[in-house]
Amino acid sequence: MGSKTKAGSQEFLKKHVLDKGLCTGCGACVNLCPYQVIYNDRTVQLHKCDLDDGKCYSFCPRTPADLAALRKILFESGDLTPEIGAVKGYYFAQAVDPALRITAQHGATVTALMELALAEGLIDAAIVSSRSRELLQSGVILNDKDAIRKNAGSKFTVSPTVAAFNQMVTHEGGKVGVVATPCQALALAKMKLKSLPEDNAKINQLNLVIGLYCGWTLSAEKYTKLLREKNIVAESIKGMDIPAGKNVLEIFTNDGVRTISLEEVQHCIRDSCNYCIDSTAEYADVSVGSARFAGEWEDVRNWNQLIVRTARGKELVDLAIQKGILELREAPLESLNELKAAAAGKKKKALKNIVQKSGSTKNLLYLDDRDPVVLKYLGVEKKIRKRR
Amino acid sequence: MMNKLLSPAKTEVLFMGNEAIARGALEAGVSVISGYPGTPSSEVIERLSEVARERNLYVEWSTNEKVALEVAAAASFSGLRSMCVMKQNGVNVASDFLLHVASSGTRGGIVLVECEDPGALSSVNEGESRYFARMLEVPLLEPANFQEAKDLTKWAFELSEKIRNVVILRSVTRMSHASGNVICGKLPQKFRTARFISDGSVMDPLRGPVVSTPVVIKHDLQQKKLETAAELFEKSPFNGYYGPKRPELLIITSSACFLYSREAIEMLGLQKRVGILKLSCTWPLSVKLLKKNLRLTDKIMIVEEVLPFLEENVKVAAIGMLKDIGIKTFYGKMDKTFPSVGELNPEIVVTALGKIMKVKPKSLPAGYSREIKKIAPKIPPREQTFCPGCPHRVSFWNINTALKLDGREGIVCGDIGCYAMASLWPAIGFHTVRTLHSMGSGTGLASGFAKLSVFGLDKPVMAVCGDSTFYHAVIPALINAHHNQADITFIVLDNAGTAMTGFQPHPGINESAVGEPLPSVEIAEICKAIGAKVAVTDPFDLETTSKILTSFMAESGSLKVLIMKQACALSPEKKGKKQYQMKINEELCLGDNCGCNRLCTRIFRCPALTWDRIKKKAVIDEVICAGCGVCYSICPQKAITRTEVTQ
Repeated sequence: MGSKTKAGSQEFLKKHVLDKGLCTGCGACVNLCPYQVIYNDRTVQLHKCDLDDGKCYSFCPRTPADLAALRKILFESGDLTPEIGAVKGYYFAQAVDPALRITAQHGATVTALMELALAEGLIDAAIVSSRSRELLQSGVILNDKDAIRKNAGSKFTVSPTVAAFNQMVTHEGGKVGVVATPCQALALAKMKLKSLPEDNAKINQLNLVIGLYCGWTLSAEKYTKLLREKNIVAESIKGMDIPAGKNVLEIFTNDGVRTISLEEVQHCIRDSCNYCIDSTAEYADVSVGSARFAGEWEDVRNWNQLIVRTARGKELVDLAIQKGILELREAPLESLNELKAAAAGKKKKALKNIVQKSGSTKNLLYLDDRDPVVLKYLGVEKKIRKRR
Repeated sequence: MMNKLLSPAKTEVLFMGNEAIARGALEAGVSVISGYPGTPSSEVIERLSEVARERNLYVEWSTNEKVALEVAAAASFSGLRSMCVMKQNGVNVASDFLLHVASSGTRGGIVLVECEDPGALSSVNEGESRYFARMLEVPLLEPANFQEAKDLTKWAFELSEKIRNVVILRSVTRMSHASGNVICGKLPQKFRTARFISDGSVMDPLRGPVVSTPVVIKHDLQQKKLETAAELFEKSPFNGYYGPKRPELLIITSSACFLYSREAIEMLGLQKRVGILKLSCTWPLSVKLLKKNLRLTDKIMIVEEVLPFLEENVKVAAIGMLKDIGIKTFYGKMDKTFPSVGELNPEIVVTALGKIMKVKPKSLPAGYSREIKKIAPKIPPREQTFCPGCPHRVSFWNINTALKLDGREGIVCGDIGCYAMASLWPAIGFHTVRTLHSMGSGTGLASGFAKLSVFGLDKPVMAVCGDSTFYHAVIPALINAHHNQADITFIVLDNAGTAMTGFQPHPGINESAVGEPLPSVEIAEICKAIGAKVAVTDPFDLETTSKILTSFMAESGSLKVLIMKQACALSPEKKGKKQYQMKINEELCLGDNCGCNRLCTRIFRCPALTWDRIKKKAVIDEVICAGCGVCYSICPQKAITRTEVTQ
């Protein structure tokens, strides 16, 4: 009698992800069951679950998975690059609507694409992150474009968007599009790789993932503290940005622009971001970031970089051009090279951090040294071991 | 129908031990009865409260045992007979006053009835109160059967009046809660009137001020009273020898152990070889009585529960009379014939006695043990748990949620009440409670834990206590916490009564022990007056309750009080009434699949939620479901539905 105490998936999740400081706060393990919740951007286990094969462990972007196989399923092999994943096309993009560009971040490409996907019936609902109170975020499901605009703009703290996907997607809801950070996009991709029969319908409703470039996210707790020290009222923040080459975080408040040096922001970065090898949301249909390479910042500030990764992503971008919603510019080659170099740099640094944490190049925590991408940036000579 | 406690003289009535004690007090003409509930003592006062009007009694459930003894003593000082009733722990609480009143002396007969719990069946200790009698120098009486429980109680009042001091009457679970036939005596026709005279000299026991000074002189007087008691014990019919003229072994015993010993002699067929000296007056021991009986044989076995109180006293007395009685061999606790922990029973005594007397007990009928072995594994194991609809389960659910969300591994200090089960069976309290001691101690401990941050223990600290416990012993600890700026979250699990012992009223209830209206003392108002930040919630409202708790935990620097108010599911106003009719929607129930994994039956574990192993679905046990509706909020699938029952 009594609760069994055998170790299950949940305990592995605690031991290998939460206790190791690898939790990204993406929300993949939340709202699947009553056992995990997100509180103050921390993943909290309320009660013990003893299941051996829980979805929480399978979906977590920081548990081991065969990423090479996942890429094979999701992308055309010819498109794959080691640095930034699959690339069908690489552009500078901008929403044609200037009003939208003022509301959203940089070129407003994400908002424009989501609005279009909704309008054209590619999706019936969009899940985006929403800043609910102070800096804490949650995922929300939206069905009309005005609501999407209200939630546009970078937030810099993590949002449990995948938790919203877990909770809000119902069969009646129809097809869904999600705006996701790299870790969130990976979690959603892993659902496709390993979904249980009863969840197939749900994951098949996921029709579009728009990825966001991400260098890191901030811990809401630490960041709130920093803002308090700087006398910045969290509620007054309208937007944030990191202008290229300036090494500061710009905070747009009701009382004007405030800047905090990135050095000061550094210690607010979520620990887990140091172990992330993905800066361009490689597991999305399209990925969007600021156009910060090759060129004067003020020239490109209102533009986005856009990576088209899948056929579905291409279809959406083509439609956007055709409908006159998105303006594309050919991106200069140096920009792509700079992006690749930066992405490769992040991969190397993350792997170095991982090795430092685990104490061995043989233990890469959630990554697998048989993955050629991982091996390439691990920085050690190693033969690819045969797959078991 | 007449209350059986008022049965006419000479009738034979089946009384529970505690009822026999109550009847004995009535026959003695008791006027004032006070106490604090505690198993196994509570029925004494409960039964007396039922006849309060007929017998002109003042019956009071006091705030705690110390106050109860003070209330009873005032009656004694005024010439009335009074009785104070408590469990063994209560004597610790009352002991400060007991020391002083034993020194000052008393007037009207006053008896402190304390019911002990060897084996701690309903306690978190098996503390011994017999030693208080020796330490505080008052007589100790221990009834050894049900008739004696009545008769000895009555005599205790006479003894108290004779020596002008408190007399302790000790019972144990198996005496208090077992039943036997008792022949009733007469109930007095006249009632005493109270008169408090204090205009005489300080040395006048009946007319002077009631004080323990001058200490040395009064102490000497107190010891003389004990000598008088010992003399009375020598001739008392409550002590006596039962057995052959020349026994090979003499058992000296008292209380329920007398019954075990008698049974053991019979089971071993040793009636002609072993005798029993039954002592019902166990402190001070009558040396003369002992001398007479210790001469009977050289082998002495002392049968008593828990500590070797009787053994020590008999041995000390025996040394003093060595010349007259010769060298003896003693069997008891000190030579490990009996354990010094837990309850005894006839079987333990049979084994010990059989070994010494080299007699094997008659074996059980053939096949009996075989049948037992067959049946035993089929008996489902049962653990103690909170009842269906119990607010405590939900309160601890909320506390767990808040602790986990807070994420700093906060410490929760427990206290005495049904909710103590959260410490004894951690799973039913969702592994939240970390300490459990005496009444009110949780709050004192929390107050201490909260001051350890400078030494590196920087965790949020909580304490829980029930409503009755709050009044009993928490208030000083709470004042201490606020005054010393101990940053704690204090939770009152207010279930509207002293639930564990049977809903005796406490100062928060606007009713007396006999059902008359009384003003209630509000917990929230007391906490506010102390200076705490106070909130009141219904623990069944999971969201609000855990929200307040987490915000309280995050707030530093002050005393925060959350009163979780929800009446016990067994309370008179709720019992048998369902607020909701609960149902399982089997189509929605995820069972043990990922997404739920039996949250309701594996984690929440209300006994009314059961698991159909074949269907792999949750089931509501309609018979025991209290209809509180909480599992509706627990189920992640909303597979548990609730419909309000129209009363």
